[in-house]
Amino acid sequence: MTKPTFRLSRRTFLRLAAFAGLGVAAAAYERVARRIGYVNYLRWLVRGQTQRLTGRPAVVALGQCPTYGDDVSGVLRELWRSAAMPDVAGKRVLVKPNLIDVIEGHPTTTAAPVLAAVLDLLQELGAGEVVVGDGPGFRREAWPAVEAAGWAAELARRKIRFVDLNYDDPRPVPIRDGWFANQKTIWLPRHVREAELIVSVPKLKTHHWAGVSLSLKNLFGIVPGARYGWPKNMLHINSLPLSILGLYQLVRPMAAVVDGIVGMEGDGPLFGPAVSHGLLAVGADPVAVDATCTQLMGLPVERVGYLWLAGWAGVGQIERIETRGESRERLFKQYEAPPAGLT
Amino acid sequence: MNGLDLAFLARAQNADGGWGYGAGESSTVEATAAVVLALARHNPAAAVRQRGLAWLAAAQHADGGWGLARDDPESGWTTAWGVLALMRTDAARVSEAGYAAAVQRGVAWLMAVKALRVVDDRLQNEMRQKLAVDPTLSGWPWRPGEATWIEPTALAMLALSAAETTAAAAARLDEASRYLQDRRCRGGGWNFGNPVMLGGDLPPRSHPTAWALLALQRVSPQAIRDADLQILRDEMHRDGGALALAWGLLALAAVGNDDPAAAERLRAMQRSDGSWNANPYHTAIAALTRPAAVAARGHLPIGSRLLTPDT
Repeated sequence: MTKPTFRLSRRTFLRLAAFAGLGVAAAAYERVARRIGYVNYLRWLVRGQTQRLTGRPAVVALGQCPTYGDDVSGVLRELWRSAAMPDVAGKRVLVKPNLIDVIEGHPTTTAAPVLAAVLDLLQELGAGEVVVGDGPGFRREAWPAVEAAGWAAELARRKIRFVDLNYDDPRPVPIRDGWFANQKTIWLPRHVREAELIVSVPKLKTHHWAGVSLSLKNLFGIVPGARYGWPKNMLHINSLPLSILGLYQLVRPMAAVVDGIVGMEGDGPLFGPAVSHGLLAVGADPVAVDATCTQLMGLPVERVGYLWLAGWAGVGQIERIETRGESRERLFKQYEAPPAGLT
Repeated sequence: MNGLDLAFLARAQNADGGWGYGAGESSTVEATAAVVLALARHNPAAAVRQRGLAWLAAAQHADGGWGLARDDPESGWTTAWGVLALMRTDAARVSEAGYAAAVQRGVAWLMAVKALRVVDDRLQNEMRQKLAVDPTLSGWPWRPGEATWIEPTALAMLALSAAETTAAAAARLDEASRYLQDRRCRGGGWNFGNPVMLGGDLPPRSHPTAWALLALQRVSPQAIRDADLQILRDEMHRDGGALALAWGLLALAAVGNDDPAAAERLRAMQRSDGSWNANPYHTAIAALTRPAAVAARGHLPIGSRLLTPDT
């Protein structure tokens, strides 16, 4: 597997660009954007600068919920209201929690009470068809993991279906915005293609290659294993930051609800220890949600490759973020970085 | 288990002759090949099987490979499924009438496909250190140009070992066998790829362990350890899904073992419509675990002792 190679921080890049102009732009092109082509590089550069100068702040709502036995639904309802979330009434909604694999003693998957609270909220808000789906990278059959994660009972209680996205009638979808070099299409599952809104409900974790595993890295589960294999090696070959943001470009609109009540630090996303954090984060700009959560984990946003790139290319906010609800200070928790460090 | 599974498969066949991962879903190569193999074992003369074979033959690309589905233009890991399904691996090693050329083109694709190989010394050392693997050994990738993994390697080994007897194929199979042994988890069994990640052991999993055992039993049975079999038993029960149990039973049978408790769990999951999970692929793999009808002898879906003709 190839590690992401985005080593030039946004701040460094801007400083150098201010002093050296075109020469530095060329150097950045060599180091950062060789994979994506000159046209995309310029287009993203302009879009990122425009967003930085004129973009509206993103809103991220933060709540404290110390344990899963507390009023998760109540906290979530308030966060959803204050985060200016999209209208879901009548819409086909795909809820995408994290089911990567169930490993005893490690908080790998989205906790059932958070998934249940999201489903209840969507039903309260009058969503049309709601389904829950994931395509785990380390499970040839997802349903046993759904049961092991404690989701099955919650789904049955609400008469909501689970769809194994690894096999869900994949069809080709044109790539957008140039994020997958040398590919014209990505095959995506039917429920992803047909969703009018995708709500990503990740577990807050560190990740040994991506730095963090949050609402955008969670999108790897929408890529069908039936075409791309287990795990989805194509996404690593393309480079993790490009793949993460490329998938995001395909599934907009998207919203994020992060389960950080118990997170994972260190050797994530599978083998790190649990962190009792008590955090719920909600927002309609997943880049801003992930950037905020990364800061609350005590990790530098500019050293998480896909977040730096998202800000640089203008696909989401990593700087102009308005947080509502609980204060950042109360929700800060220093996480141990993944063993390979950050990029 | 009973003939209800075959009746379900007949009902679930799409109008185009193939099967999908769910009844009524678009036909895919893996699901269709698995059903064709199950029918070869239990009812080889069935008209539905002949139509399935025709669908598979039509889905083959000009380069000899198969993709996810008939309209997927890129060949990949399902090529091995296509070869296995079109091949009648009886003692004479001849393919289904009319499909010999298709099998040979599929084999040629498997022999030619390139995987990601790390040749840089520094990266090779890093892989040895962080992943505990021999980076000079290679198997098969899910898709051309990518890294190699346990399941596509084992699947290609089964197809190649049954269809091809050239020296080049023997050399490739030998390397693949050593690749599988190199990737074995500490204590036995297999994860999806590496046995170690960044210095930490990865746990064995049921599905890749079953695949690795099926392939090793075919190519180098002496490499199988008792610990691998115990890991498979533990993991298939821990997973508990129909697919894990069915593949686990097939792998155990290949090495002359069984697991009555797993077989009973699998039987109990069969639905009243004869299916497992209303899924033709799951149903086909489960159907492969039950004894063949006498009339079906001689048809070897996959290279394992369970599926060897009773001669």
